[in-house]
Amino acid sequence: MATTASKTAHADARGNRNIDPTAFARDYLKPVHRVGTITALAVFLALFIPSILLYVLYGQFPSWQTIVTGFGLAMTYAVPFYFSEPISYYPIVGNAGWYMISTTGNGSNLRVPCAAVALEVAGAKEGSMEGELVAAIGIATSVLISIPAILVGALLIGAIQQIFPPWLLDAFNKFLLPAVFGAVWGQFILRGWKYAPLSIALFFLCYFLKVPGAWTIVITVLGTMLGGALMLKFFNIEA
Amino acid sequence: MDWKAIANGPWIWIAGAITSVIGLYQAWFFMTKARNFMHANGYTPAETRHMIRGAAITAIGPVIANIFVMIALAVAISPGLAFQREAVGVGSVFTELAQVSNAAIAAGEEFGTPNFTMAGFAAAVLIMNIAGWGWSVEGIFTRYLGKAREAITGGNTKLLAVIGACGMIAVFTYYSLNNAMKKGGFTVAVLVAVLTSMFLFKLADWIKRPGLKEWALGIAMFIGMLAGKIVAG
Repeated sequence: MATTASKTAHADARGNRNIDPTAFARDYLKPVHRVGTITALAVFLALFIPSILLYVLYGQFPSWQTIVTGFGLAMTYAVPFYFSEPISYYPIVGNAGWYMISTTGNGSNLRVPCAAVALEVAGAKEGSMEGELVAAIGIATSVLISIPAILVGALLIGAIQQIFPPWLLDAFNKFLLPAVFGAVWGQFILRGWKYAPLSIALFFLCYFLKVPGAWTIVITVLGTMLGGALMLKFFNIEA
Repeated sequence: MDWKAIANGPWIWIAGAITSVIGLYQAWFFMTKARNFMHANGYTPAETRHMIRGAAITAIGPVIANIFVMIALAVAISPGLAFQREAVGVGSVFTELAQVSNAAIAAGEEFGTPNFTMAGFAAAVLIMNIAGWGWSVEGIFTRYLGKAREAITGGNTKLLAVIGACGMIAVFTYYSLNNAMKKGGFTVAVLVAVLTSMFLFKLADWIKRPGLKEWALGIAMFIGMLAGKIVAG
């Protein structure tokens, strides 16, 4: 299989490819940042389009008081995730991966699992240059599948409700997401079992102290990273 | 004018199509750049195809779930707005419904009742979209995330690998245990998926069939989902 053959050429003792950092920065990262910045800015501006069209076509636009109040309510939910998601995902998915997650969302339930399986298939380490390339391929694949699928789903919403039995819709609605998280967690436990006890302990510490969800993610992620860094420094335990 | 009369008009599909095209172009560009660079550095097209196939198989379950869950948003507001928000606009359906309720409150109305009018709908469209601004802003400044990481790790490749591995396991420890603590079918779905996933990845190594890894997550998530549903009834 190609996955085993990939270890034969241009690979170090741990199976990681020897990629020239200068070529990586010049030929890959530079264009990724250029297009990533432009497309992220374009999406930022495009988020205004529905409201602009609603105003131009139907003369409807909320009052400033409504905007300020609604924005404040929306931010109470969103702000913690503005901190937790880049801290959690960026080290795993790298630059191109983060551009795509910040643009298309669905980080935990779709993008990161696809990056993870691509990393596993390639035998690449997250955080490495090879890992960044592989994660980009995995996440881009998920985006190229999900956007057309969502379009088809939105167009056929009535038919979907009639074709699929209620128990199957209920199973997907309630239990697929926990199962996705469990499946990815199982994979990561195999890859980084030495860090699992610390992350579990930090989760339960936050759980019993009733720390809000988004801050529990930040504490669990940063605490586990700190623990891993200390294990590397004092005991030379590598990932 | 009744808001339902215009909620699924061409205007919202056009808005959704614009963001979707940007998202698709971005993904296609990154995919092409990564593949070209890898092929120029000793990777074979067959290797990158295996990565794509693994990711595609893994995407099937979550994408179907996204569509099914999107039904709630489509029924509550409109299929067009559901597409505009879910294709690229970030946000889970539950978050989006919460943002509609927040917007209605801000407009002095209540979503889901006859009291919800065109003014509430206009507020909902704006608030749902601007709630996603933060992620777009973070996307614009992605290059500085890399510089921050370099500054923190000093370019130490071993430390970078540790941070990546710890981030992966910690995030999914949170999401898995947070769901498992809901008990019943949720606990079963998480535990069965964890065990199935671990077994399949180890099995791929034991029987020397690395191709099985491409299917492992996809199989584990479906078995976990069905186990959760069976237990919950």
